[in-house]
Amino acid sequence: MFLGRVVGRLWAARQADGLGGRKLLLVRPETVRGESERLVVAVDGLSAGPGDRVIVAHGSRVRDLTVGETVADKDIVVAIVDGAALEPAT
Amino acid sequence: MILGRVVGQVWAARRDPRLARAKLLVVRPHGLYEPAFAARHLVATDDVDAGVGDDVVVCLGAPARASAGGNDMPVDAAILGVVDRVDFVPPDQLAAPGAAPGIRRKLEVRR
Repeated sequence: MFLGRVVGRLWAARQADGLGGRKLLLVRPETVRGESERLVVAVDGLSAGPGDRVIVAHGSRVRDLTVGETVADKDIVVAIVDGAALEPAT
Repeated sequence: MILGRVVGQVWAARRDPRLARAKLLVVRPHGLYEPAFAARHLVATDDVDAGVGDDVVVCLGAPARASAGGNDMPVDAAILGVVDRVDFVPPDQLAAPGAAPGIRRKLEVRR
């Protein structure tokens, strides 16, 4: 799992049946020095939105347990972070 | 499994109900491991009462779920142990690949 910031929502008119109109979020993972340049498209397992800090879990088993076996994405938002106590990067 | 150091804790009220009792710690891996998406950290569940500053071993994938409380836990990383001591052989003293046991050859670094 990793910490990330929801930076946007993704819409697609034409999409595979597997995605089934699921809410797709763009998540920017946090790094030691700020935020990653890369983006992850995650399925929302809760009700997260842009601006939220979230925990994203990865894997087919996680997917099966949260949003269902038919969803074609293995990155799932499983928690919305209220607070984190982190040591500064060294 | 990977070796890392606990650098923080995360609180989240809105989370998957199966995670309700999970303690979530942030782990920064020690070298040698490149987690997905260049995040360079992991959020892992903790059952062994680790704390900030501890060196820990983190398991990824299905065994992590088993450790975190069962195969129906939506997690992919769990802390399995708090490390007391690590004996680490510097890379320049490691045996070269294919070398006979006991022979330590300096590795050539190609750039």
